[in-house]
Amino acid sequence: MAGSDRATAASGIDVGDARQRNVAAVQQQPTIVEKTEVDDKKKAAKKGPSVLDVLDQWEWIYAPLIFTALAFFTRFYKIGISNIVTWDEAHFGKFGSHYLQREFYFDVHPPAGKLLVGLSGWLAGYNGTFEFKSGEKYPEELNYTFMRQFNAFWGAACVPLAYWTAKALNLKRPAVWLVTLMVLCENSYTTISRFILLDSMLLFGTVLTTLCWAKFHAQRTRAFEPEWFLWLFMTGLSIGFVTSIKLVGLFVTALVGLYTIEDLWAKFGNTKMPAVELAAHFTARVVGLIVLPFLVYLLSFAIHFAVLTNSGPGDAQMSSLFQANLRGTEVGRDSPLEVAFGSRVTIKNMGYGGGLLHSHVQTYPEGSGQQQVTCYHHKDANNDWFFYPNRREEDYNPEADPRFIADGQTIRLIHAQTGRNLHSHEISAPITKVDKEVSCYGNLTIGDEKDHWKVEVISDAASRDRSKIRTLTTAFRLKHETLGCYLRAGNVNLPQWGFKQIEVTCTKQNKPRDTYTHWNIEAHTNEKLPPGDPGSYKSPFFKDFIHLNVAMMTSNNALVPDPDKQDDLASQWWQWPILHVGLRMCSWDDSIVKYFLLGNPLVYWGTTAGLGVFALLVVWYTLRWQRGYKELSQWDVDQIHYAGFYPVIGWFLHYLPFVVMARVTYVHHYYPALYFAILTFGFLVDWFLRNQKKAIQYIIYGILDTTVIGLYIYFIPICWGMTGPNKQYSYMKWFDTWRMSDA
Amino acid sequence: MAASTPQGTLRQRNVGASSKKNKDAASSDTELDKLIKSTGVKPPAAGSETEYKIVFVFITAMAFLTRFWGISHPNEVVFDEVHFGKFASYYLQKTYFFDVHPPFGKLLFAFMGWLVGYDGHFHFDNIGDSYIANKVPYVAFRSLPAILGALTVSVVYMIMWESGYSLPACIVAAGLVLLDNAHIGQTRLILLDATLVFAMACSLLFYIKFYKLRHEPFSRKWWKWLILTGFALSCDISTKYVGLFAFITIGSAVVIDLWDLLDIKRPGGALSLPEFSKHFAARAFGLIILPFIFYLFWFQVHFSILTRSGPGDDFMTPEFQETLSDNIMLANSITIDYYDTITLKHKETKTYLHSHPDKYPLRYDDGRVSSQGQQVTGYPFNDTNNYWQILPVVDDQKLGVHVKNHDLVRLRHLVTDTILLSHDVASPYYPTNQEFTTVSIADAFGDRAADTLFEVRIENGKANQEFKTISSHFKFIHNPSKVAMWTHTTPLPEWGHKQQEINGNKAIAPSSNVWLVEDIPSLPADHKRREKEEKKVKTLPFLQKWFELQRSMFWHNNQLTSSHPYASLPFQWPFLLRGVSFWTQNDTRQQIYFLGNPIGWWIASSVLAIYAGIILADQFSLRRGIDALDHRSRSRLYNSTGFFFLAWATHYFPFFVMGRQLFLHHYLPSHLASTLVTGALVEFIFTGDSSEQEVAHHGAKSGKKAAVAKRHMTARDRFAGQSMLGSWIAAIVILTLAFAGWYFFLPLTYGYPGLSVDQVLRRKWLGYDLHFAK
Repeated sequence: MAGSDRATAASGIDVGDARQRNVAAVQQQPTIVEKTEVDDKKKAAKKGPSVLDVLDQWEWIYAPLIFTALAFFTRFYKIGISNIVTWDEAHFGKFGSHYLQREFYFDVHPPAGKLLVGLSGWLAGYNGTFEFKSGEKYPEELNYTFMRQFNAFWGAACVPLAYWTAKALNLKRPAVWLVTLMVLCENSYTTISRFILLDSMLLFGTVLTTLCWAKFHAQRTRAFEPEWFLWLFMTGLSIGFVTSIKLVGLFVTALVGLYTIEDLWAKFGNTKMPAVELAAHFTARVVGLIVLPFLVYLLSFAIHFAVLTNSGPGDAQMSSLFQANLRGTEVGRDSPLEVAFGSRVTIKNMGYGGGLLHSHVQTYPEGSGQQQVTCYHHKDANNDWFFYPNRREEDYNPEADPRFIADGQTIRLIHAQTGRNLHSHEISAPITKVDKEVSCYGNLTIGDEKDHWKVEVISDAASRDRSKIRTLTTAFRLKHETLGCYLRAGNVNLPQWGFKQIEVTCTKQNKPRDTYTHWNIEAHTNEKLPPGDPGSYKSPFFKDFIHLNVAMMTSNNALVPDPDKQDDLASQWWQWPILHVGLRMCSWDDSIVKYFLLGNPLVYWGTTAGLGVFALLVVWYTLRWQRGYKELSQWDVDQIHYAGFYPVIGWFLHYLPFVVMARVTYVHHYYPALYFAILTFGFLVDWFLRNQKKAIQYIIYGILDTTVIGLYIYFIPICWGMTGPNKQYSYMKWFDTWRMSDA
Repeated sequence: MAASTPQGTLRQRNVGASSKKNKDAASSDTELDKLIKSTGVKPPAAGSETEYKIVFVFITAMAFLTRFWGISHPNEVVFDEVHFGKFASYYLQKTYFFDVHPPFGKLLFAFMGWLVGYDGHFHFDNIGDSYIANKVPYVAFRSLPAILGALTVSVVYMIMWESGYSLPACIVAAGLVLLDNAHIGQTRLILLDATLVFAMACSLLFYIKFYKLRHEPFSRKWWKWLILTGFALSCDISTKYVGLFAFITIGSAVVIDLWDLLDIKRPGGALSLPEFSKHFAARAFGLIILPFIFYLFWFQVHFSILTRSGPGDDFMTPEFQETLSDNIMLANSITIDYYDTITLKHKETKTYLHSHPDKYPLRYDDGRVSSQGQQVTGYPFNDTNNYWQILPVVDDQKLGVHVKNHDLVRLRHLVTDTILLSHDVASPYYPTNQEFTTVSIADAFGDRAADTLFEVRIENGKANQEFKTISSHFKFIHNPSKVAMWTHTTPLPEWGHKQQEINGNKAIAPSSNVWLVEDIPSLPADHKRREKEEKKVKTLPFLQKWFELQRSMFWHNNQLTSSHPYASLPFQWPFLLRGVSFWTQNDTRQQIYFLGNPIGWWIASSVLAIYAGIILADQFSLRRGIDALDHRSRSRLYNSTGFFFLAWATHYFPFFVMGRQLFLHHYLPSHLASTLVTGALVEFIFTGDSSEQEVAHHGAKSGKKAAVAKRHMTARDRFAGQSMLGSWIAAIVILTLAFAGWYFFLPLTYGYPGLSVDQVLRRKWLGYDLHFAK
């Protein structure tokens, strides 16, 4: 072994360029494995038959079992004592109800997590009729305890996964236990797992992905063997699972992605590897880590669409055709087929995530100061417009026979609620400055040529006849007659003065394929015309899928902090790693059970300090290396690289986005990042202690373990629920910002 | 276990995979630093570089010509000359002002004004104001940036020359800056960017000079260039804070250099740690401490020039303001006692709190009703109806008691003998805001007593602070309802004599609620309370003043988020998608539209992409064990050209995360760096032997190693015997194209001649929003 090392060394000394170095790297991989194997054997050989040794031998079975049992105990104990809807249960419980009622709803998160909530409700025999109003008492027939237990299951399952992950990262047993304990005895993890929320599943997905990645990494020398494939596909499935719960899952995906890129780059440099094998490596990863997760993600949406077949509160987010296929919808039901002057309609933008053309009495604070025109995703009377003839033609006469609207005809649109005309002029739009502002102006008599819009039909799914505009099926553009620009809603959110609705502009660019300039008639009423059934066309799954995803992104972007709204639950990124604040999950009345979202101080402060120590460690070894110290073996470097560096990268990936992100953030956004900080901490303790004397190890691990457990128990009331007056919990209030007590 | 024994771990660093990762990470960087290594140790080839010198003189002359041509046109204030001209005037008048940029660039302009004996009487209020009519020596002002702008071209040339590039490469780089409309446009006007870009270019040049002396560390010359680099960097950051990017550029190169010095196996022999520390300390001193001291020095100059109170006072704390002379605050501030008669002035709209016997009408136009109480309004002129007597809560008639912060008071309107009151009745214009009115004394101390109480809340005040005229800025909070007395500029209708509405604002925080007491009319002019012993101007420690100003500057810099019609986004710059309209004149159809030379910019930007492509292709082929470049070409490509590329990247990408409004001129330093890359790549692609060309074009097919030539030499030596024809042709083609683009857009850069509609339309490439297109 040493000989071969030296041989490669000798061959590399004089050349030392990139190519040779890689060859050496590849040659060394088998030797590492050998070493570790030898290590294990030696360990095994030393074993005697004493009780301690038996314990030692069976640790891999009973340790995870004990930890799991403890996890289930801490997560399940007294889980039902608060019988009110707590914190975001109001959201996720409600979404679960929608699945049970099969009503189409809209939310910024992908569906998998909420589908599981729905599943738990179904298992609990819940019928979906409860509204999950925040702070309200659960009705008798709703077995909320079961639903919470279902969620707590995911949280508890993180503990054994953490155990196996630490093991797969080659930590020694006491360090493995420490990591597991830190996950087990983490108050914030405990608390967040005990309610009907998505966070326990998200955490589970993150932890599982990390485990699969570590396992896959451990298989790297046995490429293309069944176990290798198993963990590759498990990683893929896990990525698919976690991203289908919340898009935060993309961060752990990025971690695996970085690893894969590095891995492939190393293989790419191995000139001895046949091209076919290289291609096989590449393909396997594309399939396992991109195609497979994407399929899982698609599947979650397919189930989502398959379950939600009834019309519900989220209809307006989707295309008109999709809505027409929901049961119980108004869209397309009994609407007249063809649009005539005097028709009362709602007009839907056909771009992905497009809303309904909307106006309200509020005016633009800048520009013309006239009435705002926006796109809006909720159905209300302000979305209704009347088709009117232009001012040059004879006026609309309710008594006369209906006059249909043809391609190329110039019309006016009158807002039903305010009676004003859709209008545009030579004033820059409020956000998209290159476009023109669109407003509502005048009334039936007051107005000018700038109220005139020309209908240009793009396509019609139902007919080739362009002499009429049809409900749902005709896609048309509206061209402003005097300015020559097109009405467009490009998914740009207005500021608070526009209620974060979508900006509507008039664009000079004539791009017939820009779907954000395409509109169709959605609801249509006209007493003069016979009812028809225009909604008999299906909208394809992929179109719905993309549409919904774009809508999710756009409304996620709208979640920016609002200076006009005070939110004392929100916190900022810098507060999390130092455990500066907690979060009150419910009202602080003496009569209700109170939960406070706060972490275990040692876990938070220790792991944050650990990140700094890790940076120093890396700097230390790099400088020493440059000075010619050869103190690290290949195994050591790999250990720092995979068990230390990758968790740190994971931490950055899960933390930095929240630093730069301009949206409202809460303490629980830090929880996935915290897991990686815990792994780093475990690595560091292991690194510094693994070669120390047993006695020192016992003392330090003993202190760390007892402190973690002690603090956990000390703070356990905030997780299990604080009953009675909050004053009696003031002993935990170490700082004024930890508001678990008003005292 | 073998792995843990020493000999198991003892591996040759450059071989084992243990070192592989680090080495990999480092290698691309290390090479970068070797930067000018290949050019290093250049024998002072006397006389051999005559042609370089001739071209240098020619290019410098051309640079002065292009920058100074027609510099007196337009004789009006153009774009941001509004700001920087004004600041120069303030310096010359020694009045304190506030700006988000550090003082160095502005001090230079002031110095220029002082040289020509200008007194700073003109305040550059509006774009288009005439310089002639106002007798401003604007040509002198403008010649400063023009000189710096012209010298920038020379510095670019010298950077290439010093880095050992061939003559065509030098000419291309310098020519692209010389013939660039953006550089010309920005450096002919009273703007800071000429100073900024010049300092940035100098810092690159000086650092290269310094680096070339690395074989004689701590020599006199070595120190000279180190300190000059630090000085250039300091001038850069003391002009605008984007100068920080140059620190990142140079800093990265220094870190890589230090990393190599630390190397135990470095070619020149290992350095001992004390030696290394000396290197480290010298650089830290020369490139961090010294620049910081220079930076502070400019602030010291700033403070010592600006000794008079001026428009910048309001940005500073009262303590700071007391260090300025002629300060009204210092002169006229009087402590207010109860039973004094005072006049209250709204800080933002400069109107006085006023009342008169007229009542609010019962019904407003929109149908809402009022209390029909006596009107309380804002009135901008002196009037006895602005007099209010300040009364304590308990009407004890005790004189000589000072009013303090957070005291509850009543205000008695002297002329009508009524007491100020606010109540839950909507104000004339704002249904959400409370009406202000007055009630009789009897009511005020009777059943309306609570509603007549107001709290004096001094801005940033401490408990028990005395309430003073002029200097105490305060909010007047109605005690029971906690609304703040507020006014705005929309005048009341006829019934209110078009005076301003006063109402109670529920939002207390906004600064528009701030009032101040202007005077105490009840005190005769010679009253002893008005007498002030001649107070000396106070002083504050420099660092305290600097720190306060610094904080204020950063804070306001972050507030610059409002949108500007000509603001642009970073991704638009390399493609030159949009310019900025600087100035227009309708009669002559002349306009200045700030825009680069599109052809030059597109060439430079595409070369950046080519460079990235070459590096990527090289990395990939190296990875597959194919070595297509000879040692020398690669070293030059990674180190020298890589340094330029790094300069471009560090001056460009940070803008993507900046929240403030951005303009095209923020790209100028980056553009300069991109021309350096262009020059270098022209040489790389169009000269050299066939194998090099193949690499450039086919991305590494040939495995043939190029000729081994390890000597360090000048460009002339390097290309001895090789045909330079390719580079010359490329240089001529590029410069001809650039010249054409430059010439075509000249009317927009120099502001004359005026263009016809057709001519304007022809220049609307990419839809540039030019004026006079109709």
